[in-house]
Amino acid sequence: MAQREREEIFKDLLSILNDLLEDWEYSGEITMETSMMNDLEFESIDAVALGEALEMHYQQTLPFAEFLTDLGERGIKDFFVSDLVEFLHRNVEKKT
Amino acid sequence: MNSFGKNTVLIGLDGGSFTILDRMMDNGTMPYLKSMVESSARGELLSVIPPLTPPGWTSMITGRSPGYHGITNFMQRREPDSQLLNMISSRDLACETLYSIVNHHGKRAGSLNFPAMSPAPQIDGYVLPGWVSWRWLRRNSHPKGLLDRLKQIPELDLKTLAVKFEEEGKAVVGCEQGEYDEWIRLHIRREDQWFRVLTYLMKTDPCDLTTVVFDGVDRLQHLCWRFLDPAYIPETLSSWEQHVLDLCHEYYRNLDRFISEIVALAGSEATILIASDHGFADSVEILYINTWLEQEGLLRWKSGVDRTDEYINDSGPNMTLNAIDWEHTKAYASTLSSNGIFIQVAGKPGLNGVPPEEYEDFRQKLIAALRERCVDPATGEPLITNIWTREVAFEGPRMPLAPDLTLALRDSGFISIRAADTYLQPRETVFGTHAPEGIFIAMGPEIQQGVSLPKLSILDVAPTILHSLDLPIPEDLEGKVPEDLFEPAFMRSHPVRYGEPTRPVSYAWSTHLSPEEQSPASEADDEEEVMIRLRALGYIE
Ligand SMILES: [Zn+2]
Repeated sequence: MAQREREEIFKDLLSILNDLLEDWEYSGEITMETSMMNDLEFESIDAVALGEALEMHYQQTLPFAEFLTDLGERGIKDFFVSDLVEFLHRNVEKKT
Repeated sequence: MNSFGKNTVLIGLDGGSFTILDRMMDNGTMPYLKSMVESSARGELLSVIPPLTPPGWTSMITGRSPGYHGITNFMQRREPDSQLLNMISSRDLACETLYSIVNHHGKRAGSLNFPAMSPAPQIDGYVLPGWVSWRWLRRNSHPKGLLDRLKQIPELDLKTLAVKFEEEGKAVVGCEQGEYDEWIRLHIRREDQWFRVLTYLMKTDPCDLTTVVFDGVDRLQHLCWRFLDPAYIPETLSSWEQHVLDLCHEYYRNLDRFISEIVALAGSEATILIASDHGFADSVEILYINTWLEQEGLLRWKSGVDRTDEYINDSGPNMTLNAIDWEHTKAYASTLSSNGIFIQVAGKPGLNGVPPEEYEDFRQKLIAALRERCVDPATGEPLITNIWTREVAFEGPRMPLAPDLTLALRDSGFISIRAADTYLQPRETVFGTHAPEGIFIAMGPEIQQGVSLPKLSILDVAPTILHSLDLPIPEDLEGKVPEDLFEPAFMRSHPVRYGEPTRPVSYAWSTHLSPEEQSPASEADDEEEVMIRLRALGYIE
């Protein structure tokens, strides 16, 4: 399975997140170090909606519920853009 | 008669119940609704099994039962053999909605605050979905630019309009006395937001079919049942109780005003329907069904897991599922809302459970055990009044996603999936909970006045709406136009017409269903055609 490059994935993520920021007071720049809950003030339901948007973007199912559950199991209450990029790098199939 | 079929407005009251509304009409809180009902047809509207918000509303706007439309719960599994649950979305919706059905006939539709409508399908009209965090409203609404138009509404506040999931939880788990005031006011403000959006769009972007859900009815009735049901209202009220009661009345008084203004805006030729996704009743006890299953030796929690750990219990069903020892579990409940029990069928490596060939025998024994041994320890009275297999409750191609058994409880409440010391516990205070009998009120030039209808099915609403718009009813809709709803003379001149079946929609998660389980159109393997369909549904640009 060919995988997408991290850089390409980061750009995809940025386009979705920037789309959300129109109604939002977040003024900082989103980087790999940006945290979803703390910096972007995501609530868990926003994370779920993000998984939905990513699946639609890549037109494939992603084990996003597993990703969030795994974080929860490890007691991790926040995650970073870089975590998402890694997750997508592992799971998104590159369509040629 | 020439105006027949001009426009129809569906006002959805989530959890609307005549137990409460009749009282509000009688005590002067809802004078408009009282006068409206006198010139309307009214009747009880029977919900789906179980009587739950997402499958209920979806059945209303598709005319199909949950085994067909595929929305069984707030969260559901995507694969028959998976335990993890995903939030439902419009991609789980496997049947055409009224919106696209009326579109085929050149009529426009508007949808406000319905579940399973996010991301919004690209209909001719508009969709502002419900159950969406405010951050996602722009991206998940339709058409593009809708939110910018809505921002012209004075005092529009997306954060107030959109559901706040952490606040919603209080409706079913309760909150401190000091929190009631702000919590009820939040719902008063939220309904006002949806009312502003609705009336703005009715004026600036009128549709042939306009639909809206006011969901504070459900929330208020959950938390404040003891202030709403005459059977529970104390004779003498403390000042705090009086204050809460007054706020509840303020909520219903506002709702009454909204209804009257919506009816006025719709015009005298419009058909107005008020309907609910389910009714409401009182709940006085909690059945911890996983604890009962544990006592039966059918479920085991992982060792080392503190069963009373609040984090496990409060972090959603997937965390609770993670605390289950799957090696030693044959049956479990995964959400409180569905009142459903899943049977763990042995399959994937490392997963024990019931061998497939023993499934039917196991299920029959489980049903018998639930009837005989899931009883009130004090009286021996059965706690479960009805048990449906999924073949009955979820007949249709999406059945494999539904619980193996669905329960009705003696106090009509929801089960709890948490671990507890004993499987039955009384609630500290009475709560409101869902009941099958909801409401249906219809008013319009061709609707009979002052008629009491026999019990209707929620599946009858879609055919009724289509007939009110003078459109043929797709032959695969499961309900019918109620006989005594329209004037007899009118029905003679305008008999119900049936037409082409609904058009198939693409199943987003259909990989697990065999081709024969899918509807004809999803057999299309031509990628081009699939892409066209996805585009039409708004799934891709
Ligand atoms: Zn509801």
